[in-house]
Amino acid sequence: MTDELELKFDALAVGAFKSVGRPVARREDLRLITGKGRFTDDFNEPGQVVAVLVRSPYPHARINRIDSDTAKQMPGVLAIYTGEDCRADGLGIISHSPVPSTRSDLKLTAPGGGAIFEGPHALLPVDKARHVGEGIAMVVAESHRQALDAAEHVRVDYEPLPWVADSAVAIRDGAPTVWDEVPNNVCVDTRFGDTAATDAAFASAAHVIEMEFPIQRVTATPLEPRAALGQYDEASGRYTLNAGSNGAVTHKRQIAGALNVDPENIRVLCFDVGGNFGTKNRVYVEFGLVLWAARKIGRPVKFLATRSESFLSDYQGRDLLTRVELALDADGTFLAYRASNLSNVGARIVSLSPLGKGAPLVTGSYRIPAAEVRAWAAFTTTTPTQAYRSSGRPEVIHALERIIDTAAHRLGFDPIALRRKNLVSSEEMPYTNAFGITYDSGDYIKSMDIALRLADWDGFEARALAVRERGLRLGRGFANYVESSIGAPRERVDMTISPAGRVEVVVGTQPTGQGHETSFAQVTADLLGIDANAVDIVYGDTDIVAEGGGSHSGRSMRHASTAIYGAIEKLKVYAIELAADVWGIETQAIGYGDGRFVETGGARRFDWFELAALEAERAGGGDQRGLRISHSHEMHTPVFPNGCAACEVEVDTETGFVRITKYVAVDDVGRVINPLIVDGQTHGSIATGAGQALWEQCYTDPDSGQPLSGSFMDYGIPRADEMPSFITAFNEVPSPTNPLGVKSGGEGPTTAALAVIINAIVDALRDLGVDDIPMPATPFQVWQSIRDAQG
Amino acid sequence: MIPLQLKVNGEPVAAEIEPATLLVELLRDQLGLTGTHVGCDTSQCGCCVVHVDGVALKSCTLLAISAQGSDVVTIEGLATGATLHPMQKAFHECHALQCGYCTPGMIMSAVALLERNPDPNEAEVREGLEGNLCRCTGYHNIVRAVLAAAAEMRGG
Ligand code: FES
Ligand code: FES
Repeated sequence: MTDELELKFDALAVGAFKSVGRPVARREDLRLITGKGRFTDDFNEPGQVVAVLVRSPYPHARINRIDSDTAKQMPGVLAIYTGEDCRADGLGIISHSPVPSTRSDLKLTAPGGGAIFEGPHALLPVDKARHVGEGIAMVVAESHRQALDAAEHVRVDYEPLPWVADSAVAIRDGAPTVWDEVPNNVCVDTRFGDTAATDAAFASAAHVIEMEFPIQRVTATPLEPRAALGQYDEASGRYTLNAGSNGAVTHKRQIAGALNVDPENIRVLCFDVGGNFGTKNRVYVEFGLVLWAARKIGRPVKFLATRSESFLSDYQGRDLLTRVELALDADGTFLAYRASNLSNVGARIVSLSPLGKGAPLVTGSYRIPAAEVRAWAAFTTTTPTQAYRSSGRPEVIHALERIIDTAAHRLGFDPIALRRKNLVSSEEMPYTNAFGITYDSGDYIKSMDIALRLADWDGFEARALAVRERGLRLGRGFANYVESSIGAPRERVDMTISPAGRVEVVVGTQPTGQGHETSFAQVTADLLGIDANAVDIVYGDTDIVAEGGGSHSGRSMRHASTAIYGAIEKLKVYAIELAADVWGIETQAIGYGDGRFVETGGARRFDWFELAALEAERAGGGDQRGLRISHSHEMHTPVFPNGCAACEVEVDTETGFVRITKYVAVDDVGRVINPLIVDGQTHGSIATGAGQALWEQCYTDPDSGQPLSGSFMDYGIPRADEMPSFITAFNEVPSPTNPLGVKSGGEGPTTAALAVIINAIVDALRDLGVDDIPMPATPFQVWQSIRDAQG
Repeated sequence: MIPLQLKVNGEPVAAEIEPATLLVELLRDQLGLTGTHVGCDTSQCGCCVVHVDGVALKSCTLLAISAQGSDVVTIEGLATGATLHPMQKAFHECHALQCGYCTPGMIMSAVALLERNPDPNEAEVREGLEGNLCRCTGYHNIVRAVLAAAAEMRGG
């Protein structure tokens, strides 16, 4: 049963909270700091064997024949499977449901408006390899070394085909075709906004600035490589998968589809997950393959990706080519905005979330009355892309905040004053932007003021002078952001209050480091008026957790807290009836406050646990677990976390070396449930963006189509000595869309980080003629940009 | 198979190993000490750091046989009974971990860092942890935790 919740905000005045809002240290830490975490590869089963994938060395090749005769004879080898074997066994495809589908998502379509061709994702392909690292065959052997040895002897007769890695090349006439069904590779092409109004505004504008930004492809690299352990129980006909993800329930359904079995015959277990950032949101072929192999071989099968395999075959992030135009009045008022966003989806569509979420936010935090965006996507012979921390938003905010800086510089405006003039003010909230998207709440100008103060913006000149004396240059940057948190609309909570004094909450979201066990307990405790230590949060086993949308798009706290709130409201009604019955009075004569049910004008009272005991007693021989409630809710209204960042960088013009010397982030995440956790999310989120701005890139060799970023030696994630300590602050504006006023943390700071860092570097080098730097701004790139500017 | 004798977390261990067995494989697969993690295949991430005779080493890059006769301490052996090591406690209190995957290696490296330099400044902590990657925390709270642990260990 699903309820659209009646919201009662006054019930949740700030004073009602005892634990919410406090920096409670996490309860999940104890196991993790003592080596007792339960990550996927920590699980082993008796009789377990090992699976290794034979992966394509070509970006694009026809598979003519696979000869595994020799490999099959090698020691320890149990089986070798190919795409033909999957087909012969009637296996299906992974259906990724890639098109964002909540009511507030703009609808992406194929060119001409039709259904989008996704590029079917078989567990192993039968026709072609479409990216380097695509699994072509699977070897199962007694040991890992035996499987690896045998994999080397699987002979695949490939016929190499022309390849294309770059989306701008893929859309050209005569480019190699990735799927015959889409000869020109353009799988999505949709326009949003008011073209006529935008054209008119551009025609009347005093100034038009135009820029193009390739937002390079990166990869999430959670430190736990992806892993899967599959089992099959002959007697019950059930499959069990251990695999790290962001939400086992969705995975269960999709894996069942790929195996062509009833979802109820699949159990997915997921406990500690060593980071995700989006890449583990989606199902991988190995999940289906280990389960299928476990049934065929009759033994548990484990797959563990090496880091090199992860670099080749983890779903990657970003890769958007965005071309933007900003129209301004003579006084700097923003009039209109145009964007063309071309997404590189890779070999098949796993997710269109980045393209879909970015499109309606191209105008960001600013009052821009007319706008148009073309959201389109192309297949290429590269690893598929998927949402990566703050899916789609850093891309569009980068373009916007870069073009604003450029406009300010070219037209002689102060970049801060130009922003301030055009920011949506708190009086305009809720604000509906040019794409019909309504920002729920926020005080953007206040965030900006806080950040400028924390950054000592006005003291910059003196600092810059001091840095000059050391032979370096100091640059400063600023960026505002707004992002959206939507995500899967349904969430469910099952709550049990036991006579023994404990509350168990089963939720369908899945933490991958965000501390749900602690923060959900804080919420539950405060809403019940009890101690947080009495609350246990349960997740991660689809046999217990029946429903749930997982953790993505910053949805978990908002959805879980709303579902918990709804469950408790329902339970209160029931509890009052129970108390009324026991006391023999009318329900109206019972009041509730601070965890207690009180007889009005009388002396009798019950707390939750006493009522749970009564309920258990009354159950007699039946269910004696206490007070129990299930609550599902559906919430389609998005929220719009927002904020800004300021930073300073030192640049060495001789070497191109850049060091971030100051970084300030101010974020409105709505109500902060646990500031310790949210601050931690902010830090990590900044580092994610800094990595993209300065070092990270999935680089493809232009001559061979080979990915050259295959390890942590040639892919630069931030290291401790490259990051500063951060200065962070909240500008907490509770969202009116949900009972707790939650927006979302953890993604916003990434959204601003790309632009603010590049703005700062460009600022340092402006008088050398540099007005843009492509990411990543590695020392070589910075050095090159300086040289290019000087001709 | 070759015989191997060493001490792990204070307990004597005798094992039969394949010559190519890595120390991390011995710990995880043969001894079930799964607190030591593997995050890469190029000795970059530091998820696998353990102490071998008091020195912090990447156990993914060490043949188990080279620990013959050594004293190995893993994350599981750092606490004394129910009392956490000050570094573990500081990681908890400063929220220096999120997913917790880098954490065992990070803590083992940080403990060794303080043994070399009991009173480091922020820059020294950052440099000292350069061989340990974390994708979640941005290092901010890890650095805070190491400085807090250093202060506590000096004080106590
Ligand atoms: S596992 Fe990465 S350094 Fe050892
Ligand atoms: S806490 Fe997740 S990698 Fe460090």
